[in-house]
Amino acid sequence: MAGSVLASAPAPVAPTTRKGRLRRTLASRRGRFGLLNATPVVLYLLILFVYPIFSTLLLSLKGEAGGFTFHWYADALSGADLDVLLTTLRISAETSLLSLVIGFVLAYAITRLSPLWAGLVMVIVIVPHFISALVRTYGWIILLGEHGVVNNLLTDLHVPGAPFQLLYNETGVVIGTTSVLLPYSVLLLYAVMRGVDRRLLAAAASMGAGRLVMFRRVYLPLVAPGLVNAAMLSFIICLGYYLTPALMGGVKQTMVASLIDEQVMKQDQWNGAAALGIILLLMTFAGLLLLRLLKAVGVAARNRGAA
Amino acid sequence: MTELRTSLAGRISLAVFSTLILLFLALPIVVIVVTSFGNDAFGSFPPSSWTLNWYAQLFADGSKWPAALSLSVLVASLTTVFSLILGMTAATALVRSELPLRSAVYGLVLAPLVIPQVVIALGLFLLFEPASMLGSPIAIALGHTVLASPIAVMILIATLKGIDERLEDAAASMGAGRLTVARRITFPLAAPGLIAAAIFSFITSFDEFFISQFLSSVDTTTLPIQVFNVLQFDVDPTVTAISAVLIAVAVLALALVGVVRRLGPGKEGGLLPVESAAGLPTGSETP
Repeated sequence: MAGSVLASAPAPVAPTTRKGRLRRTLASRRGRFGLLNATPVVLYLLILFVYPIFSTLLLSLKGEAGGFTFHWYADALSGADLDVLLTTLRISAETSLLSLVIGFVLAYAITRLSPLWAGLVMVIVIVPHFISALVRTYGWIILLGEHGVVNNLLTDLHVPGAPFQLLYNETGVVIGTTSVLLPYSVLLLYAVMRGVDRRLLAAAASMGAGRLVMFRRVYLPLVAPGLVNAAMLSFIICLGYYLTPALMGGVKQTMVASLIDEQVMKQDQWNGAAALGIILLLMTFAGLLLLRLLKAVGVAARNRGAA
Repeated sequence: MTELRTSLAGRISLAVFSTLILLFLALPIVVIVVTSFGNDAFGSFPPSSWTLNWYAQLFADGSKWPAALSLSVLVASLTTVFSLILGMTAATALVRSELPLRSAVYGLVLAPLVIPQVVIALGLFLLFEPASMLGSPIAIALGHTVLASPIAVMILIATLKGIDERLEDAAASMGAGRLTVARRITFPLAAPGLIAAAIFSFITSFDEFFISQFLSSVDTTTLPIQVFNVLQFDVDPTVTAISAVLIAVAVLALALVGVVRRLGPGKEGGLLPVESAAGLPTGSETP
């Protein structure tokens, strides 16, 4: 989703001055109609989206006795709160890597299926996406419990060490978040893989490229934009994730959203929560910027290759 | 064209891995549906005996679920109305008119999708708390609309782009007023898109947790909050049944969208709103 938010929309029709354009817009019937229709959504989002975030920012910079301070940020970036931020980054990285690998295999498999089967598999990918993440997390809690399906199966198979502790630790959290974010990765990767021209691979093979070389030199560069997209977006979405870590994690898997929730609901510590929220927002922006940068690098590399 | 020779072993291992991944996606859902009909609510899987008892208990006296369910339905309905109004006007402005700062408006409309929900929830809390509107269904619905309206706008933009503008122009040239054109031409043609946008808005609100959590009070708990509380604090076997109900609602809604799409004129881009949000080429998912 980052792509089009950051990408610029089609350029306006004529390069006139801003004032001239506004006057012309107001003069034309179509222009007035456009402004009239855009007003509700713009007003709505300014009041209920932009202003609240702005007031969060102000609150995070306000001292207890009023006045300006960075004190809340210093708190958030030290001690236990810093650990939570680092945990958030670590779990997001693990989740994004895991869903990239798993998503890659599944998306590739879908491109090799006949249309009918591909359609069926797509249904299994898409339907869970629309089922509440809370419910899916509950499903994992049933599955991964000490006497859950997974552990029972492993015990019956005489896997050494079974039953394993799969809940209330990082394994549980990463399994849960990965299963929630996997549909995104699969769709983003499939969109790119579907466009790969198989003849390029055949050409590489005919010139004696081995399987590994073909994959590394031909296939991977072709699907790289999808990989970058999927990895970065899963990472960004995971950063602000709350439900799964709260229900499937232990104390050591507290992520920043849980911390914000706790500070507001239990400790009445709004300023600190606001500072954490702004830090989370900045991390998201950093991720989106990085994504944009990587895309620009990719486009540049492709142009150089074509020239 | 030479088709690549793929080794049998490679094909088999790909099939095995893919099946495992599909199980990974489907099992959490299947296990809830199956367990909800089992006699031992949390116990062994598959259940030793079957019952509809948990579903009956959902509506027993003293059950917390009916109140939570009706609040969720109320909030989701309000959200749907709000986001359809915002979505239709915004899509019209973005597709059917000359708009100054068009890209800025478009960016603003989609921005709630990339901003972490915690941040939005916290900001809304700071907005509604001083107004002592916490716990008001309208406040929760206004909050949900921030998340639902971008989806509605995207679906309706695709819908409007799929409608031939010349039909509207033709009607206008024969003397139909703006309202008549909207009522007789645009709305009937946009109906499938409007229904899809309504369903997705409803589901977005119905499943939303974090904003509700911040904006609710003790005696206004939406369904997801109630489910969360049961999972985190008190054990209540009926939670499995209500989860199965939530699954059924989502599957029915998706099926409905699928049917509407089939009936509608032309394709309106991918099924997942996130696809167009990700700037992907639109097109139907399944070939």
